[in-house]
Order: sequence, then C-alpha cells, then structure tokens
Amino acid sequence: MTQIAAAERGYRRCLRCYPRSFRREHEMEILTVLIATTEENQRQASRQECLALLRGALAIRLRPRIAHSDWARLAAVKLMYLGAAVELLVGITVMATMTNLRSRVVATNPTYSSGQWHAEVTSTLRPLVVSAVIATAFCLWMAWANGRRHRWARIAFVFFFAITTYSLLNGLVNGSATYARADLAAGSLLWLIQLSAVVLLFHNSGRTLSRPGPAAVGSRST
Amino acid sequence: MAKRTMQEATFLILTALAARSQHGYGIITDVEEISAGRVRLRAGTLYSALDRLRVDGLITLDHEEIVDGRLRRYYSLTPDGSQQLAAEADRIRSNATIAFSRLGVASGTA
Repeated sequence: MTQIAAAERGYRRCLRCYPRSFRREHEMEILTVLIATTEENQRQASRQECLALLRGALAIRLRPRIAHSDWARLAAVKLMYLGAAVELLVGITVMATMTNLRSRVVATNPTYSSGQWHAEVTSTLRPLVVSAVIATAFCLWMAWANGRRHRWARIAFVFFFAITTYSLLNGLVNGSATYARADLAAGSLLWLIQLSAVVLLFHNSGRTLSRPGPAAVGSRST
Repeated sequence: MAKRTMQEATFLILTALAARSQHGYGIITDVEEISAGRVRLRAGTLYSALDRLRVDGLITLDHEEIVDGRLRRYYSLTPDGSQQLAAEADRIRSNATIAFSRLGVASGTA
C-alpha cells in the first residue's frame, strides 16, 4: 500500500504541470486510472506514465481549444503563429546582418563615421529588433488567447492589425528611407498574414461556433 | 475541404466507446484488447485525446460514480462521433478491400 502511495505522490507531482482548471476537473479521475494500472509491487511512479503525463500537460496548455469543424478560427490561429515566426525571422535577420550592413554603408560612403553608425543603430535598427521581439510575443499571446476562445482576444488582434496597417502606411507615406525593399516586403507579408487572420476570425463559421457546443459542457477555458 | 485522416489511437478510443459508455481505465483495457495488445494507452495520452475529442464534439461526459472512494467518469460517443467513426471505418474497409483484391486474396484471409 505504501508503495502505491509513493507512486501516487509521483503522479500527483506530474499532474501539477496541468492547468489548474483541468486539474480541478480531471485530477482525481486520472489518478484513479494511474493507480488501477500500478502494479502491486511497483515502488514508484512509472517513467513512461510520467512522460505521457508531461506530454499531455504540454498539449492541454498549448493546443487550441477549437473544434476542427470551426476551420476558419483554427486557420486564423495558425496564421497568428505564422505571423509570430515571420516577426521573429525579421528580428533575427536584422541582428544577423547588422555588421554586413555597416560594411556596405562604409564601402559606399568612406566618410561615414562610427558616431553616425551608432546613431543609426540607436534610432533605427535597435527599435526594429525590439519591436520585432515584442510583436512576436504579442502574436504568440494572441494565438494562444484566440485558441482559448477569449472574446477580448479577437478585438485585441484587430487592434494589433490596425497598428500594423498604420505603421505600414506611415512608412510608405514618409518615403523609402525607412522602407527599403526588404523592409517593405517583410512589412507587406506580415500585413497580409494579419489581414487573412482577421478575415478568418470574423468568418461565419467562427461566429456560429464561438459559443461552446454541447460537447464542451464542463470543460473550462484555461 | 478534405477530411483529416483519423489517428489510430483516436479510432480505437472511439471504437471502445461505440457500444457503451466507459470510464478511463475501461477504455485503456478495451483499446488494448481491440488492438490485440498492440496499443497500450498511457493515462496522459488518453486524457489528452479525450479532451480533444470533447472539444471536437465527438464524445461527451455520460455520468460519474465513486467506486472504493475513487472517481470514475464515463464517456460516450455523440451522434457526431458515431458518424465520424462510421465514416472512418468505411474508409479503412474500402482501402483494405482494394489492398486485398490487388494482392489476389479474399479479404481477411491474408
């Protein structure tokens, strides 16, 4: 009995990785199954069961809680993840090409001083990297929140899209100094991804199925 | 839009629930029996799958009971779940029939 109790303690520790709302609803039930599968002479929690619990906890925490039939909302969430990946790629590219950029600027303009370069880094490049990192985090948060069907998340993403649109238009209106060809291409791609996500978020299938169906009764959003 | 192919574990869980409602441990033992011991579901895998199937509206919580001080929750198929299981079984049967006919053997005797 004490051996089973030791195994149960191990499983309880793994179950702590699940969201609180899921634990409240399923912890006792899962423990019942785990104890039923525990051998009499088993001294501790099974490693395979613990690994499966940890994988399950990760899936429950990250997986969108959207039915496959609600394809529009699911696609919108996937596009938000894609947007986050592109934002991150932009940030990494800017950081990785900073030295090359300086060499090219110096090659075309020998009088270019290190002070001017420092000013360029402080005023343009560093804010670009910081904004890419912030936008990546925000896109991930939006994907997670929209995957959990939080109503506010849809509005927040539209607001974010409005900022992206303003930033793109502002860049275009103020000339191509800021919006170099690669910069414009990345900005346009991000804008298109976000536009598609917004359209899909407000697509009919998303609206009719945004209310929890009978199968979701008892499952709380996490 | 093309329907996604069902994963084997999902197919087996739905099959286990096809005849009657079952609790977690019952599903695990039934899946092992249906698959002739080939598939042994872990509790973490099972409850992750059950959660997804509930979100998709394929299964629902039927009832719960306390046995020896332990909670047992029974799950059952929804009409949508039955429909999808039947469609998947039909797809598998159709593929198997073609495979057997091309192998030149009667179905189920290979």
